[in-house]
Amino acid sequence: MHRSHVYRALGAAVLTVALAACGSSSSSSSKSAPATTTAAAPAATTTTASTGPLPGVGKPPVTIGDKNFTEEYILGDLYTQALLAQGYKVTLKANIGTTEITYKALQSGQIDMYPEYDGTLLSAVGGYEKVPSSAAQTYTLTQAFVKKHGFELLNPTPFYDTDALAVTKQFATAHHLVTISDLKKLGHSLTLGAAPEFATRFNGLIGLKKLYGINPTFKPLAIGITYKAIDDGEVDTFDAFSTDAQLTTGKYILLTDPKHVFGYQYVTPVVKQSVVAAEGPAFTSTINKVSALLTLPAIQKMNAAVALDQQSPATVAAEFLKANGLVK
Amino acid sequence: MITLVAGPNIPNFGGAPSSFACERANRLFCTHWFTQNWGSVLWPALRQHVVLTLIAIAFGFAISTALALLAYRKRWLERPVVIVTSILYTIPSLALFEILEPVPGLGLSATTAEVALVSYTLLILFRNTLTGLREVPDEVRDAARGMGMSPTESLLRVELPLAVPAIIAGLRIATVTVISLATVASLIDNEGLGVPILNAISNDVFKTELISAGALAVLLALIADGLLVGLQRLLTPWARA
Amino acid sequence: MHGLVIGSLLGDALSFIGRNGQIPGQSGFPTLVYLTLNTLKIAAIGIGISLVLAIPLGVWLGHIHRGSFIAINLGNIWRSLPSLAVLAIGVAFLGIGLDNVELALIVLAVPPMITNSYVGIDGVDRDVVDAARGMGMTEGEIVARVELPLAIPLIFAGIRTSSLFVISTTTIAALTGYSGSLGDIINNETSYHLYGVLGAAICIAALALVVDFALAAIQRLITPKGLIVAADVAPTLELAPAVG
Repeated sequence: MHRSHVYRALGAAVLTVALAACGSSSSSSSKSAPATTTAAAPAATTTTASTGPLPGVGKPPVTIGDKNFTEEYILGDLYTQALLAQGYKVTLKANIGTTEITYKALQSGQIDMYPEYDGTLLSAVGGYEKVPSSAAQTYTLTQAFVKKHGFELLNPTPFYDTDALAVTKQFATAHHLVTISDLKKLGHSLTLGAAPEFATRFNGLIGLKKLYGINPTFKPLAIGITYKAIDDGEVDTFDAFSTDAQLTTGKYILLTDPKHVFGYQYVTPVVKQSVVAAEGPAFTSTINKVSALLTLPAIQKMNAAVALDQQSPATVAAEFLKANGLVK
Repeated sequence: MITLVAGPNIPNFGGAPSSFACERANRLFCTHWFTQNWGSVLWPALRQHVVLTLIAIAFGFAISTALALLAYRKRWLERPVVIVTSILYTIPSLALFEILEPVPGLGLSATTAEVALVSYTLLILFRNTLTGLREVPDEVRDAARGMGMSPTESLLRVELPLAVPAIIAGLRIATVTVISLATVASLIDNEGLGVPILNAISNDVFKTELISAGALAVLLALIADGLLVGLQRLLTPWARA
Repeated sequence: MHGLVIGSLLGDALSFIGRNGQIPGQSGFPTLVYLTLNTLKIAAIGIGISLVLAIPLGVWLGHIHRGSFIAINLGNIWRSLPSLAVLAIGVAFLGIGLDNVELALIVLAVPPMITNSYVGIDGVDRDVVDAARGMGMTEGEIVARVELPLAIPLIFAGIRTSSLFVISTTTIAALTGYSGSLGDIINNETSYHLYGVLGAAICIAALALVVDFALAAIQRLITPKGLIVAADVAPTLELAPAVG
């Protein structure tokens, strides 16, 4: 009968869909960064010719996260690929969100570690509203803070990346701007663009208002759209990161921050103390080895490759690690 | 702080800088970028998007059909189901994703996205399936009963097949809704076509990636809609004029 | 236990709304009232321009009974367009800012209005139209006094569908760099916390309901008394696919 054909077809369709769903749900369990598959799988051999099994073999799996901008993607990929090359089972959860949201993911156990900037962590999460007097003090205070919560900071990188207010060269000359306090005279007509959470941070709009007395009109913008926004005249100044690739074009200048509202910002991976213990000394030494390579020229060149040449963070990270012998 | 005597070896990423001239100028469409990144960025995103959609539609269809069949027999069920699914429907998707994320067991994963996406399909699918069943003319139902069919047989062999056009109409709306919302879901689970779309915006509005991923999303929706129309023609041969 | 969590989240969301969306201890943030009204303004501009473009075109095509393929398939294509993709492609060409958002809203709102206007006018009983023609009415009078009144339910269904769609799409404009709508709160869970996000979501749902009621009231007002059927005028939220 015709109708039974119809019913069988319906049934077959539903079954196919259900099977496809079952088959693919298992593959969605290991998340990876925006573009990973081509370069991110180094030859994960379990033994090396002369030195025996890789240190990561047999250790419990680890999840690394990263925040929602270019430099973080690169850092996440660097650490992930370096650890994979040492035999660790690493999953990368990229592009989690802002500092506060990523730290929450660490606290809730969704990730075991992520690359963080110690000054931002201290201020945005720790709620520290004084300006630390030095980079060393920032590190010490942040380390003390995270240790209370069962985490610890690994070694800081040679490079630092602070927030900074950027303006176009023309705007700076027109209004004689050198330092952030020079913005005071522009009053409320000055538009400042930054990520939405900048407005409620002490190392953000709050601190700027308090310590410099400026009172701009705030425009929330996605990170990374800020350069286009200032080029289009949508904002007069915005929150730039000092290692942004676009700054190398010379079109923009960064206003100086003598009161150090933006603090000291070195990358210090935050890891769960229990994970440090469980993964063994080679885990932390691999991460520290990667961190040690990250000088300012290195990170700037990688940022340029991703932000200007539009290469994928995973590819760039792989090339860098290969060139420095951390990956085959 | 660690300082090195000699700096790290910094390679020339991707080769000669001139190979990225198009990307640097952010021209409308850089074929070079497209071919380089199809396999690592666009195709995985498209694949993830299709999987997200299929799972959401499969579960949404199963749940709403069950609910509709129940409400078909017990009329009082309709009101509460419509109210709950309507409330879910009007919550902006990003808000729902954010609200679901802290729930234990969900978190920043595709599961959270799926739960939210499924809840957006329920209202449409439930309403359409129920309406489709209700619109079967009484005479047809009586005739089936008169031929000796049990209520279940009548349902499976007469009423549901006749409700197919309404069901598929609901599936079409639900599917393109899911495809659209799944782009926003990328903020939670970092999967799907929303990843390259939002990534391109955060990369100084990189046009090639925006247009490629955006066009893929539009094409996916059009193809899915077309396939469902085809499915309807297949399942309702009596409707072909 | 979970009920307590949900209850307190809802409670916090309601008090967030109660204090006009301000964050305790912070000042200088746009109020909830401002953001809601601005969302409404953005949506209204989009809907307004779409009305002017779509309704006359759909009505005209329906009256001359031409272009059914385009008119009906446009409606299908509309439902297929993922709004974030449309917004994003708009940013690629027009940059960030209100123009781009409005263009995306118009692209998304016009098709259902055209489709419904076309189907509404085209579907008016031909005998009635012929009778009117026989009575000596001009084409314009036929449209205005015969076809339009009969087509109001369908035309309004199209307007209401589009309006709901436009209001919810406005909130994802924040993802493409446009600020000033309730999407700002939803996009900033870090500053506003989850209860703030829920509060903003409640505001959007309320806004959608209010707009739908208003349009239903207008529909009731302009439908000639003899043609009102209660079911047509009942608020229908389910017609619009949820977005953003």
